Amino acid sequence: MRAALALVLALAAATPALADPLPASAPPGARLAAWKDLPDWSGVWIGANGSGWDTTTMPKGGVAGLPGVREHPPLTPEWEKKYAANSAKVDQDRFPDPVSFCGTPSGFPRLMSVPDGYEFVVRPEQTWVLTENGPNVMRIYTDGRAHLGPDDLWATYMGDSVGYWQAQTLVFDTIGLNGDPHTILDRTGLTYSAKAHVLTRLYLADKDTLEAKITIIDPEMLTQPWTVTKRYKRQPPGSRIYDYVCTENNRNPITATGQTLTLGTDGKPIDKAVDPGK
Amino acid sequence: MKRRMSAALTAAASLGLTAPPALAHHSFAMFDREHPKTLVGAIKEFQWTNPHSWIQIEAPDDKGVVKEWSIESLSTGTLSRQGWRPGTFKPGDKVTIRFFPMKDGSAGGSFVGAILANGQTLGNMGP
Repeated sequence: MRAALALVLALAAATPALADPLPASAPPGARLAAWKDLPDWSGVWIGANGSGWDTTTMPKGGVAGLPGVREHPPLTPEWEKKYAANSAKVDQDRFPDPVSFCGTPSGFPRLMSVPDGYEFVVRPEQTWVLTENGPNVMRIYTDGRAHLGPDDLWATYMGDSVGYWQAQTLVFDTIGLNGDPHTILDRTGLTYSAKAHVLTRLYLADKDTLEAKITIIDPEMLTQPWTVTKRYKRQPPGSRIYDYVCTENNRNPITATGQTLTLGTDGKPIDKAVDPGK
Repeated sequence: MKRRMSAALTAAASLGLTAPPALAHHSFAMFDREHPKTLVGAIKEFQWTNPHSWIQIEAPDDKGVVKEWSIESLSTGTLSRQGWRPGTFKPGDKVTIRFFPMKDGSAGGSFVGAILANGQTLGNMGP
């Protein structure tokens, strides 16, 4: 089992192309962590890296969703075409973001890169990542279980996550993700496939900063593993998480062509031009 | 309580100067982020809601024609942690609002900053 995990990590570090591995969940000898050995990640956290998955792929001003020049991750030729097509839509403001329709989660790994508050609830047998900007509830099992087997695994927004504690670092592995076209990575037009396999290390970088080192391994999307680091800042003691119901007062519906409208209080678009076919 | 609120708003104002561009639950491409505009008018309604809060303000446009503007802000969670409350804007309040206008010139935009009826500054009112 240790060999299998070591192999996965080695592959994540070096191999240009991968089959879709089902890694071992924990090294041999790993046991359920005791409460006293777990880190205290209580309280509210807020992402410090903005809305894009990675700064290198962000156009001007660091805002995903605006037109502009962007660098590309190590994409396969097929995904390069897809990204170029999506980016062209972004430049026309016609790239629909699934979450803009209200109702579906961002899904993993994008949920590690959303606005508003975060909670990281650590228990010996599992850790929950709860995002205020939801609905996103992610469960990471750390009770020694393995991934679901091929017959029991289907694609979901959160995927299937298993991991273990390596001292105060939560190491986990996620498979079974929806991917393109159900979920995206960010509004620059980046997407990933249902074959994506994600390795994450979550740890305190300093007393007020949680860091997630996230490696995506995706034979359809990427020619080699792609690692991005996200950071979260601890909010003042007593901070709270609030309601976030996207359908409560969504005045920005998306048309069939991907145009984002702005509705007045009467429910009618105030936009000067609305794409036909709405 | 009043002093606390004031401190929270001051903190929010300083945050607004340095915080990265806020993310909405939708694309921001329809806003002109290069040319913020300012409105001076009276609050008609404040919608303290998700996924966005909305400030409805009656104010003159560039030609002096008074109309109702829809100014979009952030989620109630993020705004409340920055010191906003459901009563931050009340109907009839005379306020100044700085915003990124909609590119097509329609009467809407994305909130940047405000000077409230009591003189407090919220967000980023620019240089």
